[in-house]
Amino acid sequence: MNIALALSPLLVVALGALLLMLAEAFSPRQGGLALGAATVLFVGAAVAGGVWMYGIERLPEAASLAPWLLLDRFGLFFDMLLCLGGGLAALLAGGYLVEHGIERGEFYVLILFATLGAMILASSGDAVTLFLGLETMSLGAYAMTAFRRASPRAAEGALKYFLLGSFAAAILIYGFALLYGATGHTDLAGIGATAATARTPLLVVGAVLVIVGVAFKVSAVPFHAWTPDAYEGAPTPATTFMAVAVKAGAFALLLRVLLIALGDASWTSWAAGWPPVVATLAVLTMTVANLIAGRQESVKRMLAYSSIAHAGYALVGVTALMRDPTQAGASVLFYLLSYTVSTAGAFGALILCGSHGREAVSYEDLSGLGRRHPAAALAFSLFLLSLAGIPPTAGFFGKWFVFKAAIDGGLYWLAILGFVNSVIGAYYYLRVMVYMYMREPAAGAPVALPMRSGYVTAALLVSALFVLALGLVPTRAIEVAVRAATLGAG
Amino acid sequence: MLSLFPSNDYLLIAVILGMPLLGAFVNGVWGKQLGKDAVRVMALTAVGLSFAASVAAFVALSQLADQQKGEHVKLVWNAWEWMNTNGGAGGVTVPIDVKFSIDALSGVMMLIVTGVGFLIHLYATSYMADDEGFARFFAYLNLFIFSMLVLLLGDNLPILFVGWEGVGLCSYLLIGFWYEHAPNAAAGKKAFIANRVGDFGLICGMFLLVHYTGALDWNGIANGASSLLHTGEQARVHVWPLGGGQYTGVLSFLQPKSPVTISAATAVGLALLLGCTGKSAQIPLYVWLPDAMAGPTPVSALIHAATMVTAGIYLICRLSFVFVLSPFVMVLIACVGAATALFAATIALVQNDIKKVLAYSTVSQLGFMFLGVGVGAFTAGFFHVFTHAFFKACLFLGAGSVIHAMHARIHDGDPSQDLRNMGGLRRWMPLTHWTFAGATAAIIGLPLTSGFFSKDEILYRAFVNRTVNPAAAALQGRVYAPPAWIGTALYATAVAAAVLTAFYMCRLYFLTFWGEFRGWTVGRPSLLSKHEVAAHDDHGHGEHHEDLSTPGHPPHESPWQMTVPLIILATFSVFAGWLNPGFGLSRQPMEHWLEPVFKEATEGAVVYAGGHDAAWAEHMTLPLALGGIGAFLVGTLLAWWMYVSQSGAPAKRAAEAQPALHRLLLDKWRIDELYDATVIAAVDSLAETAAAFDRAIVDGILARLTALVVAASGTVLRAFQSGVVHVYAAMMVVGLAATGWFFAVPHANATVVDSGNNDYLVTAAPGVGYAYRWDADSDGKPEKSDFGADSTLKLHLEPGRSQTVHLEVKNSFGLIRSKSIHVARPEEPTSSL
Repeated sequence: MNIALALSPLLVVALGALLLMLAEAFSPRQGGLALGAATVLFVGAAVAGGVWMYGIERLPEAASLAPWLLLDRFGLFFDMLLCLGGGLAALLAGGYLVEHGIERGEFYVLILFATLGAMILASSGDAVTLFLGLETMSLGAYAMTAFRRASPRAAEGALKYFLLGSFAAAILIYGFALLYGATGHTDLAGIGATAATARTPLLVVGAVLVIVGVAFKVSAVPFHAWTPDAYEGAPTPATTFMAVAVKAGAFALLLRVLLIALGDASWTSWAAGWPPVVATLAVLTMTVANLIAGRQESVKRMLAYSSIAHAGYALVGVTALMRDPTQAGASVLFYLLSYTVSTAGAFGALILCGSHGREAVSYEDLSGLGRRHPAAALAFSLFLLSLAGIPPTAGFFGKWFVFKAAIDGGLYWLAILGFVNSVIGAYYYLRVMVYMYMREPAAGAPVALPMRSGYVTAALLVSALFVLALGLVPTRAIEVAVRAATLGAG
Repeated sequence: MLSLFPSNDYLLIAVILGMPLLGAFVNGVWGKQLGKDAVRVMALTAVGLSFAASVAAFVALSQLADQQKGEHVKLVWNAWEWMNTNGGAGGVTVPIDVKFSIDALSGVMMLIVTGVGFLIHLYATSYMADDEGFARFFAYLNLFIFSMLVLLLGDNLPILFVGWEGVGLCSYLLIGFWYEHAPNAAAGKKAFIANRVGDFGLICGMFLLVHYTGALDWNGIANGASSLLHTGEQARVHVWPLGGGQYTGVLSFLQPKSPVTISAATAVGLALLLGCTGKSAQIPLYVWLPDAMAGPTPVSALIHAATMVTAGIYLICRLSFVFVLSPFVMVLIACVGAATALFAATIALVQNDIKKVLAYSTVSQLGFMFLGVGVGAFTAGFFHVFTHAFFKACLFLGAGSVIHAMHARIHDGDPSQDLRNMGGLRRWMPLTHWTFAGATAAIIGLPLTSGFFSKDEILYRAFVNRTVNPAAAALQGRVYAPPAWIGTALYATAVAAAVLTAFYMCRLYFLTFWGEFRGWTVGRPSLLSKHEVAAHDDHGHGEHHEDLSTPGHPPHESPWQMTVPLIILATFSVFAGWLNPGFGLSRQPMEHWLEPVFKEATEGAVVYAGGHDAAWAEHMTLPLALGGIGAFLVGTLLAWWMYVSQSGAPAKRAAEAQPALHRLLLDKWRIDELYDATVIAAVDSLAETAAAFDRAIVDGILARLTALVVAASGTVLRAFQSGVVHVYAAMMVVGLAATGWFFAVPHANATVVDSGNNDYLVTAAPGVGYAYRWDADSDGKPEKSDFGADSTLKLHLEPGRSQTVHLEVKNSFGLIRSKSIHVARPEEPTSSL
């Protein structure tokens, strides 16, 4: 029974997904599935929160699933985060798919199963379950990307995503195979324990492949190339899901791998370990993504690059893990939370700004929106400010904690580069606001016509609440993040 | 029954703060859709509920104060923890919480802000009824009330600062409310910039306080205030050379014989004072306030007379225990106040714009408040804040009513505010007239009105009080003592300012309400043609005919939404003085109420001048009161003679006799021009230089280069984003190869640590599967021929010796990299330095 309690977030989502599939198959009419999916996911988040408050330490049986599933606070934090992100995506889908005439029930089932995969991924402590979760998550994401079947762009994006994703998955699993060969372990803790004594090159090669495979999933430059195409081709709720849930799941994987499997002093060495590699990835990711994002004409593609750039900021915090795993890990977790709500909100606002046949795509489409539809423009502005890291929003404290972790770790140059990059980022975020508030559409030019949808409004309200609450009261959330980041190996 | 809430978790504060914020949010976001009626209801309900909650909180506070007599009681609501910083001598963690508290001082201010605020909201519902930006106006106004309450109720400096900036923002938005009109926008900017200068001071003060006292909340600062005064060097701020450095080389001529230092208390006081002069419009930063009258009149009444501009005095009162530690700063505050009071009054003498007169009058009255708190009479200064809120709000609203009557259009045009176009209005606007008369009586100090009591107390205290350093004994004479004549000088200046006050206010009153109406023909005809007066109800949407043959409709009284606030405010203006009548009377409710707040500050820091005792001070009460009463009589009678019995002829003669002086006063001593010529010109030329540099170097070379690089790199990078999958896969392979290369090649690196006893530890950087081989003397023959796990090498070096260590690292691929590390021990230092 206690095991069931410890597993309850996963069980809720899994059972919910099955029920929803049945309902979809036997229900005579479409509709209402979005509400069901969102409910399942928010209940999942709530259950995870309940287990968190009850205290997973009080359920000793939970440890019996180790190393396949590590049911710890870290996992619970990600359960909450992923369910929140997935739930927001489901709500957005409820508005978007109907409006654009592509409402089909399987989308919600895909969201649920992909979220479940991400949750398994975040809790797994063994290469086998890890891969299981990763592929469950990825397959759902591939299918969602291609959801708009008639659109060649969607098919193209999905195919690229699938091809490169398989490539990366192959790299990852090959890496784990080599690590198994080098250490005789498939569980991360076992790999980590023998890393110090192993003298075989297989270990290093395996680790390199694993790092690269994970870097693909977090879409770090130069493993990011699939991201803009897939994000742009996918229906916007699917983009949202990939940007928040898939990315958060990938970061969970990255943190578990780096902290448990590669947490030895010889791996975290600044001279020869993964920190310089991760730092290089962070700098490349931030800089390249920001530079390209500034040159986009499509707001959606800009947001896609923005989500790449944000992975770079989070990687700054990951680099700092080498000095203080708890504080730096907490900063990454907090960053992911603030990024999730801000990004989901920004994509949601973009969805809200368009309607059937008049989707908001380019900056010009948004001209004068502040005058025509102040509420939509205000919501968009809030999330853009948060993404730009301007107080009093969640994004400000997200960057604050990540850069603070870097500075505390002595990585001043990394913090400075991150700061410079957030200035570059502010340019293209604020550009949207300039268009919304200071430009009028050219005569006869197409303008975006905001849609009306209770689902989208609800998603925006939830996100806005989080963005403001995290921006005004960060202390509670950072306390939670610190507890989650206190990882007991095993 | 105390209240529903415990005093240490007083949730009602959330309602007091939350209602105006809610009103601002609703009106700001949905105002246009809701329509004017809903906006009006929302705005009034928000402030009204906030006022009701404030009253409830105030009652609870007074009950608590009764229970704990003489204690400094507070109702506290700690909303949430915000962040932490470091400060103080030991680098302690300073929590910054979002925490609010109501005590005697902030409680009174809170009642003023919500109460007077509510009346002004009510007034504005009618005054602004036909404005297009009705919803925007009330959103700003509600936001202002919220920000002002945050400023007042914040329990620490950062929260106060949030409110401080918030009211500054609202002030800026409301001054420039009619931003289509360029001077309004310029006035808004001027206010914003002058306030920024002040805010810089406030921020510096905040940094200094957290550095020296290790706290930012009021209790913490009070506890740590003693560390601001210290004989040791750590409590002295080096002014020259800045920060305690030393000028050497070519700059050595700048080095003084002994460094110029001030105590930390003085530094903090000066920084905070700069902030207060900005917000409360004192010399040298007062210039923004008169221009701020470009905003709608209710804004002038609420923000630029009754509440926001008194924030500086509030801050001085709030941190009174810090200010009294530096008698120099206290004297400076008093002098700034007295000088501003007199100076602004001289300008007000000759202004013809009804709101300009009132604006300079506000600056002058704020000077009186500064004078009061500067001589350590915090209660007196604050009591003037209290009474001034009523009579000045009443005066501004009365002026608004006059303008409303004068000017058919809602937009405040200049001629409709010109005193020369008014006169005789008491015939048509009896309510406005009588309330204006009541408020005028208060400001000119008609005995037994509120202004009389509060101003008289300030004059009295200016003469009898003297501030001394409370820690003079401990500081062994390194203290500043104000000169003995300062009290007399302050008193004389203040009396002179009071004479001028009585004169210009009576001039204003007589010119507006007495004599004959001069508005039939004076001014541009189109502005007061009969059509506009007739078209009053639709506020000037009619055509403007230039027909002067018939006088047209006379000005008329304003609707009840405007007169009711006037009546209430006028009543308070006349009678509120009895809350603190002075003159040694036994009933002094206000003084008694505020005593716990200021007790700590004034004890030992404020004494009677010339070493006299309390009996002497009591003895001086009546003689000194004669100054105030005399000022009232002289000013009033002079104005009566000039403008009523002689119908303004002496004023004209005086202006003609001294045209230069008159011109100078009319031009406000040309201070704006002086600032233009000095500060602004200096900033401008600096800006010009910077701009030239910017154009030539930054734009010409750097920006173009950067833009080129960014654009080029963006283009190059986008080229990789070709959409071709093999290119993407190739990029991944390149990334994989680079990562692999980094791990495949060993990295020989080492850190050297002095482990004491002439020993050095050379530690090779760890890496997976690394093995090390050391050659301590670099003779090409390693100590051990095999690579081992030994990653550290111990070296023994005598002073002055050095050694080169050779390190070889082999990784699990069998690759080897090496590095030479030079370790040198310096000679022992010869001197003890």
